[in-house]
Amino acid sequence: MTDILRIKDLKVEFVLPHMRVKAVENVTFRIGAQETVALVGESGSGKSTISQAIMGLLPKVAQITNGSIIFADPDKPGTRVDLAMLDRAGAQMRAIRGGRISMIFQEPMSSLSPLHTIGDQICEAVRLHRNVDHREARELAKEMLTLVGFGDPKHALKTYPFELSGGLRQRAMIAMAMVCRPALLVADEPTTALDVTIQAQILRLIKEVQSELEMSVLLITHDLGVVANMADRMVVIYDGRVVESGKTEDVFINPGHGYTRSLLAAVPHFDMGPDERLKPLREIKPKTGSLLALDGDGEDTREQNDVPPSLALHPTMASEPVLSVRHLSKSFTTRKGHWLKAKKQLIPAVADVSLTVNRGECVGLVGESGCGKTTLSKLIMRAMAPDDGSILFRGESGQMTELVGLDEDKLNPYRKRIQFVFQDPFGSLNPRMTVQDIVAEPMIIHGVGDSAYRKKMVLELMEVVGLDPRYLSRYPHSFSGGQRQRIGIARALSLKPDLLIFDEPTSALDVSVQAQILNLLKDLQRDLNLTYLFISHNLAVVDYIADRIAVMCAGRIVETAPREKLFRNPMHPYTQALLNAVPFADLDHPLDFNKIVDGKASDPARWPAPFTINRDSDPKMMQLADDHFVRAERADFTEIAI
Amino acid sequence: MLTYLARRLFVMIPTLFMISVLVFVIIQLPPGDFLSTYLNELQAQGEAVDPAKIEFLKHQYGLDQPLYVQYFEWAWGLLHGDLGFSFEYNLPVSEVVGDRLWLSLVLNFSTILFIYIVSFPIGIYSATRQYSWGDYGFTLLGFLGLAMPNFLFALILLYYANVVFGTSIGGLMDPEFINQGWSFDKITSIIEHLWAPVLVIGTSGTAAMIRRLRANLLDELGKQYVVTAHAKGLAPLKVLFKYPLRMALNPFISDIGNILPQVVSGSVLVSVVMSLPTTGPMLLSALQSQDMYLAGSFLMFLALLTVVGMFVSDVLLAWLDPRIRLQGGISQ
Repeated sequence: MTDILRIKDLKVEFVLPHMRVKAVENVTFRIGAQETVALVGESGSGKSTISQAIMGLLPKVAQITNGSIIFADPDKPGTRVDLAMLDRAGAQMRAIRGGRISMIFQEPMSSLSPLHTIGDQICEAVRLHRNVDHREARELAKEMLTLVGFGDPKHALKTYPFELSGGLRQRAMIAMAMVCRPALLVADEPTTALDVTIQAQILRLIKEVQSELEMSVLLITHDLGVVANMADRMVVIYDGRVVESGKTEDVFINPGHGYTRSLLAAVPHFDMGPDERLKPLREIKPKTGSLLALDGDGEDTREQNDVPPSLALHPTMASEPVLSVRHLSKSFTTRKGHWLKAKKQLIPAVADVSLTVNRGECVGLVGESGCGKTTLSKLIMRAMAPDDGSILFRGESGQMTELVGLDEDKLNPYRKRIQFVFQDPFGSLNPRMTVQDIVAEPMIIHGVGDSAYRKKMVLELMEVVGLDPRYLSRYPHSFSGGQRQRIGIARALSLKPDLLIFDEPTSALDVSVQAQILNLLKDLQRDLNLTYLFISHNLAVVDYIADRIAVMCAGRIVETAPREKLFRNPMHPYTQALLNAVPFADLDHPLDFNKIVDGKASDPARWPAPFTINRDSDPKMMQLADDHFVRAERADFTEIAI
Repeated sequence: MLTYLARRLFVMIPTLFMISVLVFVIIQLPPGDFLSTYLNELQAQGEAVDPAKIEFLKHQYGLDQPLYVQYFEWAWGLLHGDLGFSFEYNLPVSEVVGDRLWLSLVLNFSTILFIYIVSFPIGIYSATRQYSWGDYGFTLLGFLGLAMPNFLFALILLYYANVVFGTSIGGLMDPEFINQGWSFDKITSIIEHLWAPVLVIGTSGTAAMIRRLRANLLDELGKQYVVTAHAKGLAPLKVLFKYPLRMALNPFISDIGNILPQVVSGSVLVSVVMSLPTTGPMLLSALQSQDMYLAGSFLMFLALLTVVGMFVSDVLLAWLDPRIRLQGGISQ
């Protein structure tokens, strides 16, 4: 038998004083030598419980009530250990844990101790499992840090985790897990918290280390794109049970179980036709009522005067801009050095950003964390004042009004016209307010309507986002993440805004729920002629929902184009790097790991010639086609256009 | 790190200056001064007072000078170790205070030590065995300690010590040593008497500290890096001491600055009840009789303790926590 790990009929229960909850039942699968097995499932499916059971890290209330986890250590041929039977804190389990089976976690920010150096934490792992002295341990740690891509491992040993970026922390974490050369690596959502380009680097690293150390990998993820690129075999978990398992190709090409099929259908991919829809597990049927559509009579007639109604249905053709941002800049200051002669350092968060959003259009804003996209949205909301530039917005009068420089009182009528949907559905709803109060609050703040109108509006909004109006008196904690996000959308719609800004609205949600929300947003836009600014780091999501896409990096917009053009013909090196790094949930488009360059892609100074941004050159946006712009030097313009 | 230390030390100077101004102003706030209080007292007793003598005394004590001159003379004296003159005792403040300062320091230091030594293991136990019988028991005791006023506890202790054991636990030493020179027997006697006030003053501090350590540690125990440490195969006790406990220490240490003055001022009432020869009761009477230099010296002493306590805790924190040490200068 070459299998490293065999799980048979595993059943884990949470034993609470008054009840027993089954977390995992009848789970059976195996992991062969040097094989990568993906455990796929949505949150709450029990996939993390399985990994905890293997590692002996189950919480105290959880008990393995049935089944076995047989571990056959390739270093000790012929031995078999049933991990399910071992004492979780006992010496035998501890020798295997971290020594023969290692684990890396989702959150690189919190999974390393902030008080100990990287070197301390890695050497600790070495000295636990190998009989070496302090100096040898440091050598081994250095060797492993080099392997995972630290340029100066000697210095890295002495750094603290908070001094490193997320990607480097995850590398350090991998080094720590690898340093004892385990037979099996359990990777629990290792790249979920990382940007796409970093994700691609880490995935490549795991593959490289895997072949270098000849180990097996159990990859736990909800991202089918990662599965398609990494796994030899996959196991699909739903509600604590295995619904399907097999070779990755077989499952992708010919999914046997309905759940797997719907999971695959819910992932947005780049080859979708303009009218092709995602298929979520449960579709929401939004019902628009009279208030949202009719009550704004004045606006509607005005719109119809400006734009023929037939055009309003085709967002890209409705050319009236709702928002026009020109050369917007914002810097933050940090203080460095001595407190008396502190040097103020300006860090540009948003630099020279110009962006137009037309009525009825959805503009996608794509970029990695820290690129300034959230700052930009805050500037548009005027939650912050820009240093420079202008924000023109079409208010109720139908005229474009300059928002920069308006004081709070004059700004108030515009606040009503721009609404925001937040990323975190858990933090953005007040847990002490009922849904009724939450959705009605914007109307109360802006004094819209009387209480009868508000009541009717809230009821209608609930129907619009597909929630049962009977839930109105409940509190947010009784809703799932997707339902909460729908409450957030209802709240944003309650003032009938001209512009809705979405800041990563689906990044905290499972794929099937994400598909549900995206479809809802599409339907609402079509039915109510809404205007969206959609911010996301997920290219596939933006591709699905947006008409035009702006790519942002290091505070600047580097390329804007209609979505078909951007994905078919990306001009800017950063856009290309982004596209290269997206793992497709499609076996025909594997990631080309050779194209993934470490850390170069998002540094403006290291972009090739016509695109370089440094002290000497500061290129402006150039027009390539009528609606395709890229940030490059004028001199090289013709060269690129060809 | 060195610049950080230098900076912190340097900041202490303006802080202490501000405090001295405040202390002086606060002492002067009530109407009148020591002499007018003294006069009132004499007149109330029906004694005649010679105005010429009053003028002489005023001049003698410098009370006829403008306030800022009085302040600078006082502050200048403080800088040279001259604490001024106590009107009430007719002696230099340093002689009035005498051993009381040292006894206060001994008492307060022992109390803080007691708080830390007792609360540390109990806090750890309560956090790691959350909702066990032991945890509930300590929690109950802790709340009792928090809820009961110190002086009441002191009275109860005094009463039962007398009734049950027939001994007096008041004072800080046996009566025959009072106003005697230092000797080995006197020290032994102080140590024998110390436990009762330490217990009384320390109870509520201990209870609060246990709650704090328990809450901090419980927060840290659920963190991801603790799971990481377990996943390495580290033994559970080692994990506890190396990772979450180390993190939970931060509030523990930053409390040093708060706990010093708290213990000192909290012990005033207890000192009165248990007739301890510490600074507390004397400060109280000095404030009542507007004996300004004596009160001022005590208040400055308290301020100095606070500032030094804060300094010590800041330095310890910087030493323990690299995030403070390395990111101190960076702010957004």
